[in-house]
Parts: sequence; structure tokens; C-alpha cells
Amino acid sequence: MKKILIIAKKEFLDMLRDRRTMIRMILIPLLVFPLIMNIVTRIQSSQSQKLAEKVLTVGYVLHGQSRTGIDRMSTVPNYTFVEYQDSALLHAEVKSGKMDLGLAYNSTFDSDVLAGKNGSRVLYFRQADYEDFERFQTLLKREDSLMVDNRMKSIGQTYAFIDPTQDVEINTSDPKEVIGKYAGGMLPYIFMAFLFMGCMLPAIDLFAGEKERGTIETLLTSPVNRTQILIGKMIVVTSMGLLSASVALVGLFISLNMLDMDSGLMQMINDILTPQLILTLYVLLIPLAFFFAGVMIPISVYSRSFKEAQSILTPLNILMVLPAMTGFFPGVELDYTTAFIPIVNVVLATKAIIAGNADMVLIAITFTSLILLAALSIFISWRQFGKESMVLR
Amino acid sequence: MIKVEGLFKEFKLNRKQQQENGTSEAIYRAVDDVSFECKPGRIFSLLGPNGAGKTTTLRMISTMIQPTRGKIEICGIDVAKKPNEARKKIGFLTGSTGLYERLTPDEVLKYFADLNDVSKADFERRKEQYYTLLDMHHFKSKKIGQLSTGMKQKVSITRTMIHDPEVVVFDEPTSGLDVITAENIITLIRNCREQNKTVIFSSHILTEVDLLCDDLAIITKGKLLYNDTMNAFRNQMKAETLTGEFIRIVNEA
Repeated sequence: MKKILIIAKKEFLDMLRDRRTMIRMILIPLLVFPLIMNIVTRIQSSQSQKLAEKVLTVGYVLHGQSRTGIDRMSTVPNYTFVEYQDSALLHAEVKSGKMDLGLAYNSTFDSDVLAGKNGSRVLYFRQADYEDFERFQTLLKREDSLMVDNRMKSIGQTYAFIDPTQDVEINTSDPKEVIGKYAGGMLPYIFMAFLFMGCMLPAIDLFAGEKERGTIETLLTSPVNRTQILIGKMIVVTSMGLLSASVALVGLFISLNMLDMDSGLMQMINDILTPQLILTLYVLLIPLAFFFAGVMIPISVYSRSFKEAQSILTPLNILMVLPAMTGFFPGVELDYTTAFIPIVNVVLATKAIIAGNADMVLIAITFTSLILLAALSIFISWRQFGKESMVLR
Repeated sequence: MIKVEGLFKEFKLNRKQQQENGTSEAIYRAVDDVSFECKPGRIFSLLGPNGAGKTTTLRMISTMIQPTRGKIEICGIDVAKKPNEARKKIGFLTGSTGLYERLTPDEVLKYFADLNDVSKADFERRKEQYYTLLDMHHFKSKKIGQLSTGMKQKVSITRTMIHDPEVVVFDEPTSGLDVITAENIITLIRNCREQNKTVIFSSHILTEVDLLCDDLAIITKGKLLYNDTMNAFRNQMKAETLTGEFIRIVNEA
């Protein structure tokens, strides 16, 4: 054990002195969420403000119908209405972007409305500027509801006459369950992505890098057996992965606190991210980290150089990301099948824990299968590291 | 003391390696029934052309790889049975030995001293001794990546000797080094002899062998062609020069 700790201590020191490690495993995970969230929310809020303040130019063709509706809508701020005589021209000008939207009344619109029929209108819009269309639709609905009210009054009724039911909707789900279902896949995904990236660099450096630098020979002639060397290095690989994932979580916390979020939602997030949840997540992630290390180390041991190991391991990232994304798919739940699929099981178990509907038997199966898988991958690493043809390749 | 008896090392070749080596054999015998003894206070040189099996033999002696057959004893310890005990007796150095570039000489030496169970007092004493001997004090706290090749080799020498090994294995120790750095290694090898250590070194540089060694073994294609003292070698020479004699023996094999 003493020798293992000596090796682990030295490898930690060596890794933490590496600028690449500090940037990729600490700085990036710490800054990526605050930066992304800050930029995204800034862009989003500036865009929605711009959209709300944008003056929409709406062309219209009356075809001899009353302009009362148009006059009423013209009083709404940030709208300019321009009259056209020809629907075809209006269509063309909306298409070319000269007009934001177009509204052409049917020549029988007023009489149809008066007769209690549907008065028809044609709306011209561009799918690319759908937000403008949605904004205008809201205005039209307001206008239409006035017409409905007038109709009801004319027959001595109220709106309730055509809307005979009134439903009171009571949501019985715990808000946590909703968040767990729709956003619960996010947290384990973040953890897993950074765990993988965090394991990768040390796995390459401590094995392929050591071979490339020619330091492995000296280590192999020291009074320490290969199992001790492997365990010492593996501790560092997994710890660095967990460190990277933890730093990403801190980054996520910082970014959430930086956002101008609804206090109720913030409280809910704080309620979800309890120490118990984080602890459970770590319990699942530790064997997963060993599994990642156990997959990466044999590849790194096989590789002659840092570059060779990197070129083999980088595409593996995609293999990890795909199952990690299952958490985002609705309807995919932790069951007796998914509990045995590595990565998928951690994502779904975490999602279930966040939602508060986790089945402890399935969580136990997940944990046990991860432990078995970690043990298998450690065994493969041990076999590979024991082969002199690989270590001294 | 190093005792090597009937040593064999075979490597399995895959198809690609068979094609590269121009052979259909699936096994390549790198060391073929090699036996010799290296005594304390004497320098034993393993001489041979490239690919002769020198490095493979030294790697087996230093426990880096295991023999296919045969026995190696280091100071009476069977390396196959007690590799860690044997490793404590061995110091290993090559001309291309790497060091941890992000650590300082102090940290590297402490690491290997700890792995070799060197007491703190012994570590400090030996470190000071080599720092003074090799004039290393001024760079002991600099990162190794910032040091010159010569400085790095001084660190490697101290790393090799930090646990005061009884047996020192040098695999082409001056290969690729400049004259001044190589001279440090030559001095170290001589010092080892003076300290009654057992020294084995491989080389293909005959002037170095002539300068240093007491006992000589010539190896080619994995087989030992000659094994005796350097004086005996000189006395039996049929060619006029050491180089000529070496080529003659290798060509006759």
C-alpha cells in the first residue's frame, strides 16, 4: 500500500504541474458553464427584447371591407400598417422582406361576419421569421375576441355560451419529478462527459506518455511490482476524472447563481442538488470512473506514444456521449434491462433519483453491475500492463 | 555479483513482424543459451552489434522482462522468485533514460529513494554527496524540463545511485551523449568499481570497452561467442586491433 501511495502522490504532483491538465481538466470545466450560460442568456434576452421592440410592418388589402379592425390594431405600439390594393403584390413584398407580414380580407368578410359565418382572411408570413407571425397572431386573436363578444351581445349571451365547460387543473406531480423527467438527464450527462475527459488525459500521460519519455524502464527496475504501479496510476486517473467532473459541477452552480432566475425555480434546484444526491451520484460515478480508466489504460499501454493513444481514445468520446444522452429521451426509464447497460444505467438512475421515484433494487443492480464492470476492466488493464510486449512495445 | 545460467528469451512474432523480419517463424529467439558471471569490483562488458541481444539480456537482469528459460541471480537472489528483493540491489541506467520533466531533481530523487525504501538520513546524505560530486546544487530545484542534456544525465546518475545499489546495469550508457556528459558516465562506472560494486555495461563502442572493462563477453544473434577477461581477449587476438578482432569473431559466428 505504501508503494501505491508513493506512486499515486508522485503522479498527482506530475499531473497537476502540467499546464494542459490544468486547462483541460480544471479551468475549462470550471468556466464552460458560466461562460455558455452567460452568453446564451445574454443573447436570448437581447434577442427577445429586440423582437418585442421591433416595429412590424404589416401590409393589408381591404378588398372593400371595413377598416375598423385595422384602425384599432394601428393604435397598438410597434406596428405600422400599410395599405395595398393587390393581394399578389402584397404576397410578393412579404416574400421579398419589404413587408414583415400581410393580411388580405376576403371581399365578403364583413357580410359573412354579420351573417354569423366565418369571415375569411389570408395571412402572409415567412417561416424564417416565425416569431413575428406569432406576435401578430396574438394581436389578431385579441381583435377576434372583440368580434366574438359583439356577436354574443347581439344575441344576448356571454362568452360562456360557446365555452360551456370550465376546467380547474390541479397538477399533482412534485416539481422535482417534472424537473427529473425533463432536465434530470442533464446533470449525469455533464458529470459523465467531464469524467471521461478528466480520465483521458492522465490515462494517456501516465502510460503512453511514460513509455514515450522512456521513464517506464526506470520504474520497472524499481522494487515495486506492476500491480502496485497500475493501481497507483489508476487511482490518479480516476481521481482526476472525478475532480474534473466535480469542478464542472461547481461551474454549474456558479452559472446557475449568476442567472437572474426565478427564486422558486432556484429554490427547487437547490432542493434537488442535495448533498445526498451528490453523494449517490459519486457512489455511482466512482465505479464508472474505474471502468473508464480500465478501458483507457489498456489502449494507452498498447500505444507507443501520447499521440497514438490520443488518436485512438478521442473517438471513444462519441461512444460515451451517445449512451449518456439517453437521459434526454423521454420514456427511457431505468428498468431490469437498462440497469445493466453501463453509462445508460448511471444516467437513468440519477434521473430517477432527482425525480424522487428511484427503485432501490434497480439502483443496487446498477451499482453492482458497475462494480463488476469496473473489476473486469481493471483485470483487463492488469493483464495488459503485465505483458512486457505491450509495456516495452 | 550477477550469475546468469542458460538464459533464453523468445518473442512471439505476429504476421506483420514476421514480414518485417523476413521470416516465417512465429518465434524469434533474442537470447540463446547465454551464461556468464559478473564479479564485484570488476566491470563486465557485454559487447555486440545492434540487435545482438545485449539490451534484452540486460533487461532480463534488471527484471524488466522475464526470461523464457534460464536463471539469473543478483547477489544470490533469484530474480524470478524475488524480483523486488533483486531490484533493491540494482541500479539501471541507459543513455536514453527519461526523467519526469515536470518534477525537480529533488522530487525525482525522493520518489526513487522512497520506492527503494531508503531512509531519510541515507537519502539526504547520498543526495548531498552526489550534488557536490556532480555540481548539481544550482539546479536541484529547477524543473527537469528546463535542464540541459548534461544536467539531466547528472540527475539520472544520482537517481541510479540513490539507493546505493550493489549491482549497476548500464545499457549503452553514453549512446547519444556529448563528450563531456559521456565522461561523467565513464567516471561513474569507474567509481562503482572502486566501491566494489558489480558493474555490467553493454556497448558497441570498442574504445569505451577497452578503457573500462575487466571482463568481456561478445554476443551476436543472441549467442555468446566469447566470455573471458579483457586481458585474455587481448592475448588471444588474431587481428591487429580490438575492432578488427571483434569483427572477426562476429563474422566467424
